[in-house]
Amino acid sequence: MRFVLTCATKDFRRVLSDPLALLLWLGLPLAIGGMIWLAGGAGSGGQPRAHVLVADLDSTFLSGLLLGAGEQEGAAEILELEPVALEDGRGRIGAGEATALLIIPEGFQQAVLEETPAELLLLTNPAQTVLPAIVEEGLEILVEGTFYLQRVFGDELQLLAAGPPTGQNLFADTIVASLSLSVNQRLQQLESTLLPPVLDVSSPVSEGGEAEGSASAVDFGLLFLPGILFMALLFVAQGMSDDVWEEKMNGTLRRALVSPGPAGGLLGGKLLAGAAVAAFTSVVGLAVAVSLFDVPPPVVPAALVWCTFAGTALLVFFQLAQLFATTQRGATVLTTALVFPLMMVGGSFFPFEVMPDWMAAVGRWTPNGLAVVQLKALLRGDAETVHLARAALGIGVPAALALLISSRRLAGRFAVNS
Amino acid sequence: MIEVRELRKEYDELVAVDDVSFTAEAGAIFGLLGPNGAGKSTTIGCISGLLTPTAGEVRVLGHDVVTEARSARKQLGIVPQELALYEELSARANLSFWGAAYGMRGPSLKGRVDEVLELVGLRDRAREPVKRFSGGMKRRLNFGCGIVHRPQVLLLDEPTAGVDPQSRVRLLDLVREQAAGGACVLYTTHYMEEAESLCDRLAVIDHGREIAMGTLEELRGMLGERDLLRLVGRFRPEDARAAVLRLDDVEVVSADPETLILALRDASRKLPAVFSALGGTGAEIHQTTLSEPSLETLFIKLTGRELRE
Repeated sequence: MRFVLTCATKDFRRVLSDPLALLLWLGLPLAIGGMIWLAGGAGSGGQPRAHVLVADLDSTFLSGLLLGAGEQEGAAEILELEPVALEDGRGRIGAGEATALLIIPEGFQQAVLEETPAELLLLTNPAQTVLPAIVEEGLEILVEGTFYLQRVFGDELQLLAAGPPTGQNLFADTIVASLSLSVNQRLQQLESTLLPPVLDVSSPVSEGGEAEGSASAVDFGLLFLPGILFMALLFVAQGMSDDVWEEKMNGTLRRALVSPGPAGGLLGGKLLAGAAVAAFTSVVGLAVAVSLFDVPPPVVPAALVWCTFAGTALLVFFQLAQLFATTQRGATVLTTALVFPLMMVGGSFFPFEVMPDWMAAVGRWTPNGLAVVQLKALLRGDAETVHLARAALGIGVPAALALLISSRRLAGRFAVNS
Repeated sequence: MIEVRELRKEYDELVAVDDVSFTAEAGAIFGLLGPNGAGKSTTIGCISGLLTPTAGEVRVLGHDVVTEARSARKQLGIVPQELALYEELSARANLSFWGAAYGMRGPSLKGRVDEVLELVGLRDRAREPVKRFSGGMKRRLNFGCGIVHRPQVLLLDEPTAGVDPQSRVRLLDLVREQAAGGACVLYTTHYMEEAESLCDRLAVIDHGREIAMGTLEELRGMLGERDLLRLVGRFRPEDARAAVLRLDDVEVVSADPETLILALRDASRKLPAVFSALGGTGAEIHQTTLSEPSLETLFIKLTGRELRE
């Protein structure tokens, strides 16, 4: 263990002697993240809003209710609805002037009330990725709300949708009273479920009336920040893994291998130094998360441990790749060829939430993808021990195997071949 | 001490070291002399445990380097041919690391690092990053890193390659000091002068094989106090060989159409007779070089080639 610590101290001091590399590993992902954040509207003080054109071909009470829900305070923060005629809407979405065009077909109300299938058509702007996904999610919530409204207040809705009796502009007082009574009774029946609410939306930073703003900030931060943090950790892993070649080329590797310490100890030292750099990188990333995206500080220690663990495992994988290359240049090409696809599918450039399903499915099984998914859960405060343990095994077991192979390779052919 | 018995190292088809045996004693400097690619570094690699011998046995202070590698390595110091230093760290940090890698700690490590910095003449530059050092300073530090843990066995693989004359003299003094202090020193070089001035015993190797071994006097004795005469020109090798062999006490080391190498006593006096004999064969002589007996001439006599070829 002493040998490991000796090697780790030496390697850490060498990293510190090159602050520019450290700055690049950290700065590049932070710059990319910053640009995404600013592009998302942070620079103008607001969240990104999706501009949705709505062609309401039904023009009924229920279609109005659906659109009204979209204009409520919470939804209005992310959606900007604009009623349009169908042809005008098609033309504008074709020209890329909006995020999406929602078409409410004729007969929508009828279908909902009669519980027959109805289809809402959403045309999205192919030039955008994140906002159309948000619109799609939001619309699904509205549709589900409409479904449950129909299940609970179906009779009352049918009465309202039919409108006042023929020849009258308003409902008679008796009908209004009967409706009120009916709604009241239904609510009383549901009271045990609704009050107190079974589902509770909470925000840990809700004091001082900031809950809504904080919640959306956390969401936005969670969408991008974990991937960007792992982009930095991938850069660290790739950069530090190159050190085995540096040591081989300047002869210190051979000198170290003839000392009494084991080859595994030499690698262990490199990993310990890598873990320290990964921890430092994670501290910076998580500090950004806490200060800019209102991530609650109590989740930080667990997230820090997770990032350090996963970052160190990434270093092990890159080290293995370096050790199997036949030249230093080949090793650089190989690790670069690995690092960018890993960033791409592992949620660093684009969050899984906006990726095509197949790509997200693949990405979630990459080492950094596994880590990003769990980091998001940790930052949200809803990480489950079983999932976390499974991901830790998924990353840790291959990393342990890679370390074993690396040790053998380091003391064998790698050190000797010129 | 180092005991090497019938050492053989193969790389696929290539035999890098073949049947090399020698013993290097404590308190003495044993030289491994040979041209580049002769197998010197491979031999050092096998002794240090970095390479596994294909056959044979290597013992360091009685410990087999394969089966008791850790015990053998503890007593071993190595100064590799390349500058095995961390250039971004200071001289002190380099020495401290290599000392700690051999188990030294605390005040004893610090004291020894100060001592070695003084020894290699880098005390004033101890805190500077090594990348700012000159080639000679790096060579001295490279040597310091090999002795910081006071090894009983020191392997030096061409430690003066590419250094200025001043640093070379300082380094050779340091090597002598290590042997005088009781260490067993194995020194590889292709510089004849270094080997002659430094080594108590020597093994000459070429193409992986040991071609001569002994003290400097014993090796010189193999030449029989003969000078080496090297003639460059145009020869008919068989005729030239026959002509000079008719002269008294002349040995033909090698003969080819362009070069003729002869070993002979009192060469300066016999030159006219040699020229006359060769003239009778129609030979043309363009260049003549006469060398007194040395390891260089011995190597030429043994291999027919110059050491730096």
